This record gives sequence, C-alpha cells and structure tokens, in this order.
Amino acid sequence: MRAVLSALRRVVALLALPVILLLVWWFASADSRTPAMPPLKRILGVLPDTWFGERLTGDVLPSLIRLTEGYVAALVIGIVAGVAIGSSRRVRLVVEPVLEFLRAIPPPALVPILFLIAGIGDTTKILVIIAGCVWPILLNTVEGVRGVDPVLVDTCRTYRVGGLLRLRTFVLRSASPQIVTGARQALSVGIILMVISELKASTDGLGYTFEQFQTRFQYPQMWSGVLILGLIGVVLSVLFRLVESRVLAWHRGQRAAERTPL
Amino acid sequence: MSPSRTSLSRDTFLNRGTFLKRGMFLSRVGDSPALLGLLGLGVFAALLEILPRAGVLNPEYFPPTSRIIGALWQELGRPDQPFKPSLLSALGDTLVTWLTGLAIAVSAGVVVGVIIGAVPLLREFTASTIEFLRPIPSVALIPGLIVLLGVGREPTLVIVVYASFWQVLVQVLYGVADVDPVARDTARSYHLGPLRRVRYVIWPTALPYVMTGIRLATTVALIVTITGEMVIGTPGLGDNLFVAYTGGDVPVMYALILVTGLIGVVANSITRAGERIVLRWHPSVRGEVAV
Amino acid sequence: MRMRRLAALFVGVTLVISAAACGGDDSPTAPATPGGPDTVNVGVIPIVDVAPIFLGEAKGFFAEENIDVNLDTAAGGAAILPGVDGGTFQFGFSNAPSVLIAQTNGLGIKAIASGNSTAGDPDNDFSGLVVKDPSITRPADLAGKKVAANTQGGIVELAIRELVDRDGGDPNSLEIVAIGFPDMVAALENDQVDAIFAVEPTLSAAKAKGWKVLGSFATIDPDMTVALYVTSSRLAEENPDLVARFTRAIKKSLEYAQSHPDEVREIVGTYTNVPAEVRANMTLPGWPTEIDSGSLDTLADLIVKYGITDTRPDVSAILS
Repeated sequence: MRAVLSALRRVVALLALPVILLLVWWFASADSRTPAMPPLKRILGVLPDTWFGERLTGDVLPSLIRLTEGYVAALVIGIVAGVAIGSSRRVRLVVEPVLEFLRAIPPPALVPILFLIAGIGDTTKILVIIAGCVWPILLNTVEGVRGVDPVLVDTCRTYRVGGLLRLRTFVLRSASPQIVTGARQALSVGIILMVISELKASTDGLGYTFEQFQTRFQYPQMWSGVLILGLIGVVLSVLFRLVESRVLAWHRGQRAAERTPL
Repeated sequence: MSPSRTSLSRDTFLNRGTFLKRGMFLSRVGDSPALLGLLGLGVFAALLEILPRAGVLNPEYFPPTSRIIGALWQELGRPDQPFKPSLLSALGDTLVTWLTGLAIAVSAGVVVGVIIGAVPLLREFTASTIEFLRPIPSVALIPGLIVLLGVGREPTLVIVVYASFWQVLVQVLYGVADVDPVARDTARSYHLGPLRRVRYVIWPTALPYVMTGIRLATTVALIVTITGEMVIGTPGLGDNLFVAYTGGDVPVMYALILVTGLIGVVANSITRAGERIVLRWHPSVRGEVAV
Repeated sequence: MRMRRLAALFVGVTLVISAAACGGDDSPTAPATPGGPDTVNVGVIPIVDVAPIFLGEAKGFFAEENIDVNLDTAAGGAAILPGVDGGTFQFGFSNAPSVLIAQTNGLGIKAIASGNSTAGDPDNDFSGLVVKDPSITRPADLAGKKVAANTQGGIVELAIRELVDRDGGDPNSLEIVAIGFPDMVAALENDQVDAIFAVEPTLSAAKAKGWKVLGSFATIDPDMTVALYVTSSRLAEENPDLVARFTRAIKKSLEYAQSHPDEVREIVGTYTNVPAEVRANMTLPGWPTEIDSGSLDTLADLIVKYGITDTRPDVSAILS
C-alpha cells in the first residue's frame, strides 16, 4: 500500500505543475488570432502526425545520435582539461583568458567559421555541440578540483598517494559533485546547440525540421517541435538522474554517514 | 680559515648576481595573474597571425590578427551611419542589454533557487517543469516575441533572461542540495530560524556553486544578447556583425567577434575578482594563495 | 553587515540599469497626431535589393507623402512577415515565394509594390547558379548533386530545381543545403557543395574566382518579380490612405533607383558592408514599379510543384 501511495505521489509531483501550466496556456491561447502564437489545441492536434511518423527515425534519431556523440566528447575533453587546469594555478591563469575569449563567441558567429574548418557534414554539427557543452563541464571541473579539501591534499601527500591513484580516488571523487553539476548543465545546452547546429547546411534533424517549419510559416508544427524538445529534455534528465545516483552514490552515503545519530 | 683566493672570488661572483637569478625573475612573472593571462592571450593572437600568413588557414576567410585589428581600428573611427551605428554606440547598446538581462536572471535565479532548493516539496513539484523548459532554444521563441514585443531591446532582453536564468537556477539548486549535514544538524539543535539557516548554513555551501553559475550565466547572457541582436535586429554589436557578415566584410566581422571575445575576458576577470572577495574563506581561494 | 550592504548595492544597480534599459526604445508606434507625419516601421533585409527605399528616404519621397520611415533590419522573411502580420512592422520587404507561402499558411499579408526583379538579361543577372567543376556544363549535369541555397523553400531553392528541370534533369534528385550567401564561395571552393546559387555581392566574388554561371532568375523569367513590399491586410483595411501614400512613395523610389544606378551603388555602402570595389562592379537588380503577376503565378506553380506547400497559393489573395 505504502509503495503504491509513494509511486502515486511521485507521479502527481511530476505532472501537477506541467498540467496546470498547460491548462493556463490552453485557455490563454484559445482565441489567439496571431499566427505566430496558435492555440494550444491546434498545436497538440498536429503533434502526432508531425512527429510520430517517419520523422521520428528520419530526423529525431540522427539528431539524438549526434547529441550523444558531442556530449560524450565534451565530457571527456571537459574533465581531462578541467583537471589539468584546475590542478595548477599557473596553468589556469595563463589559459583562462583564452578560454574565456573563445567561450564568449556566439554560436551564430561560430558556425560559419566551423563550416570553413570542418565542412558541412555531421562532424561540424558535433563540433558545435562540443563547443557549447564543454564549458559548463570544464568550468565546474576546474572549480571542483580547485576546491578540494586541503586536509585531504596533505593526507595524500603524507601517505605518498600519487599519480593515477590520487587522481581517481581523490581528485575526481572530490570534484565529482561539481563535475556532475556541470554535466547536468551541459545536457540542456547540448540540446539547444543540437538544434542550432542543424539550422543551416543540414539535410536532416530536429533543427532542420524546425527551420523548415519557420521558413514555411507552419507555426503549429513549429510549436509542436518545441514541445517535443521539452519532452526530450525531460527524458534525458531522468536518464541523467539515474546515472548520477550511481556515480555519486559514495557522496550521498558519506553525507548520510556524516549525520551523527546524536 | 678563509678559502683560497680563486674559490672565494668564484663564490662571491656566483652570489653577487642574486637579483638577476633566473628562478627569481620567472617567479615574479609567474605570480601575477594579469601578466600570465596576457601571456596566454599573446600566444593565442600570435598563433592567429602566423597560421593565416603561413597558409595553414586560408587568409581570405581567416584574416591574420593584424588585419583584424586594422579593421577594428577603422571601425572605431567610423561615425554613426543610418543603418550602421558606430562601434561605440553598438557596444553601449550591447552592454546595457547584456547587463540588464544578466542582473535580472541572476537575482531571479538565486532567489527562486534558494526557495525551491530549501523546500523539498517545491523541488519535487517543479523538477519536471524545469527539465522541460531548460532545453528549449530561444530561437524557437523569437517569432512569437517579435510579434509581441517588436524588434527593439525587449525581445532580446527576454531571451537573455530566459537563457541565463536556468544556468543560475540549476547551479543554485545543486549548491543548496549539497549542504553539509553536520552544519544543518547544528543549526537545527541551535533552533536557528529559516532565515538564519539560509544565511549561515545553506548560503555558504551553495556559494561556490552560485559563483560558478554566475560565471556561466555571464557569458551565456552575452552570447544570447549578440545572437538576439543578429537574428532579431536589436541594435548592438550583433546587429553590426550581421550587417558585416551579409556584406561579406570578413575583417570587420572578425573585428566584432574580437570585441565580443574581449568583453567575455574582461567579464570573467571581474567575476573572478568578485569570487576572490566573496569566497575568501573557501579552500579554492585560500589554497591557492598559500601556494 | 557587509552582506546586507552588498545586497542593497546589487538591488540598486539592477534597478538603475533596468530603468536605463527601458527608456528610449523604438517600439512600434501608431500614426502620430493629425497634421504631423505618420511614423511607420518597415522591416527590411540589409541587402542590395532594398536600395530604393533607402534612396527614396534620403531623397525625401516619403517625407513628401507625410510619412516618417523607420527602417529595421531583420535576418529574413521568416522574421519580417510575422512582424508585419502582427503589427510590429507596418510594411515589410520579403522574397515573393515567402509572401505566397505565408499567405497560404494563414498570415494576412498583402503585396503593395514590387520589391525588385531580375536585371533582365539571363546571362548577366544579379543572381546566378555557379559551378566550379569545368565538367559540369549545364544545369542537368547537377542531377543527384549537392547545391547550396540561402534557405530552404525560398526563391533560390525553387530557381535551382526549376533550372535543372527545364534543362531535362531530375529536380527531385538534387540535395539542397542551406548555407548563407556569404559562406557560399568558401563552401564551393572547398568542394563541400557541387554548385551554389548566389546573388550580389556574393555573385561577384564567385565570378572573380573564374567560375561558370549556368543560369539565373532571369533564365526562368526575365520579368520575374523576385521580391515584394508588403503590408498587413488589417492595415490596408483600417488605413487605406496611409498604404496608398506609402505605395506612391515607394514606387517613386523604385523608379528613381532604376534610373540612377550610381546613386544606388553609393547608398548601398551606407547600410551594408559591401566593399567599394564590389559595389562599383556588381550587377544591380531591376526595379520596375509594377508587380509582374504572371511571374507570381509561375512561382505559385513552382511552390506546389516542389512540395513546399500542399495547396497552390492564391496569388489574387495577396494582390487584391
């Protein structure tokens, strides 16, 4: 009985606010005469036909594959570079301004430059995703590595724990709460860039479809695409939460253990 | 007994040039954040000067740094034209849009984040909505915003706040969640009220996360400001960039990108400085100072 | 203590910046007080084609009609047309097929004047289908290849497919990719695409590389109305006088631009970043005062032929 109630409660928590917002949207837009903001009823009406046909495998899937590739690459690059930069004050001070310079270049300006370097195929799209995803991961990793407990630093030195062991069991573990925060941020940034990378020079993808709807003034379809993007975001974040609970299990356990019974 | 003459003079000679000793010179440079940063930027700029000239990058599409700076210099001297505001006026517009949006996003993000983060019930109920709204690109909202708000500063401001808010919010939520249980229990046993608890327990743990969030949001806000200016046509650097791009004026285009990048660098230095003050007590700042 | 002071400072700064930001903007305005000129917002793209309205504004043609023109740049028809329909812009500039597609999909848009047409000569137009590979000698050779257009489903895509079709090739075998005009030359140079369809000033840059032009808008129809000035049907109904005055002024501007190409080349330099040498030599579009409805019919046919919409756009709906 308890389990059912708890599951029910979780479902309610998941759906309550979205349902309320959707209802507000439904009634607010019901009489809308502005083509760019059609009634929610129409948007939901076109949604199944637009997305649950061949678009699912022909556009959504390729986009998600590119997103995964870019995200994983960004994760690797961000963590490796982040540890390297966070561990040395000098390295950080030299490299940071250049990184901040690159970070500030807006995607619409960056995309043509990447087209020149890497062509107009999948590689460039993945590079665009990496170019945006790497920053939250990198920045958070650097801060996580910088902020490790100095007592533990000394402990490692005393026990002559060095090299790969120190990296794995100490540095990465200590920084992992912040690294995970960065990875979380990078996920939604990745979805946004996935769309942006496909607006130009594409032949398939969610962003490509989106651009098509915009240039053809098919606003109900465009807004249905927005809803799909949101749903993808929710699904991916649930998956992320599952992975996160495994990776940070030690952290949660430690925090729980720190709660002394007294 | 003094050593023989030759060895004495050799020792004295070696000891004499202490102020010229190699290690000491390097350590003087090696301690200054500003000099090290400039070193990094200098190497980067030199690389971008050499590669196009050497032909590794096509100079037609990747002009060397010197040409970009030349174009920047010309742009600075160009007065306001009917459709191409002067560089300084565009810069001013961008700064106002960016900083306003950032200020709103950070305040809203921190306040909402602390409230939601501190109340588990709220966190549970808002989680799905946050995860749904976060990945929606501002590009999607632009047609609707143009219709509602026109093509001035307002629609760009909206997307700037929209995009930056989530960065701050997520960081704050993570920070609040990471509260040290010992501190939390201590607060409870001392019967600290909710406001006190926020100030003494939640806030210090969350602060490093919040500062990272501000650093992330600062650049995101800048990027979205320029993007909005490019796509919507709001006056600012992005608008000038779009006009340069459309006209095929590659050096000016890169000059404007250079300005944007430099704003990012300066903004980061300022937030880092702010971080050093606010997080004085945190190991990341303390540890480095000790070294 | 310090936290409180910091917080107060922060709030204060936010308020000041917000106040500064919200003042002095250029939001759409309704016609001003009677007697004074009407202020209108016109959405345009910063390209060569809109030179007439800049020229007309500089020459005072709009002031003569008691109109104060406020020109706003936007990235393309996709941004301008919803703005016209929604009232952000009173008038706008857009390529003709986009106007037809927008109308078909529910936007209340009316064409009031021609925006620009071709330069008249199929072999020397302001637009061109350009190839680099000397073995491609005619449009039909492009069947199955990758061609760059500036956007999906616009006049450029229609032109590419139609040129191939008329030359006997299979238009549906083409892979059309959207690349911005400024990026097209580099894309063709690096063999990322097999052909590009560009307009000035990109066309000049492509020709400067010695590449071959296989066709243009003018090949399809030398009198083709490529773009239109539009207004919303709502404004046409509520304020026909303003629309009539604006139409007169823009037609006068078009006529003036057509007969004063040197002044056009000069004014293009004030609102774009096209370099002076390119401006001096590029082929200018044509600026007739009348819309060629025959070519609009052709475009409507092409729109449904190549699957951009399911139903054929109603040309009369935008012209009435």
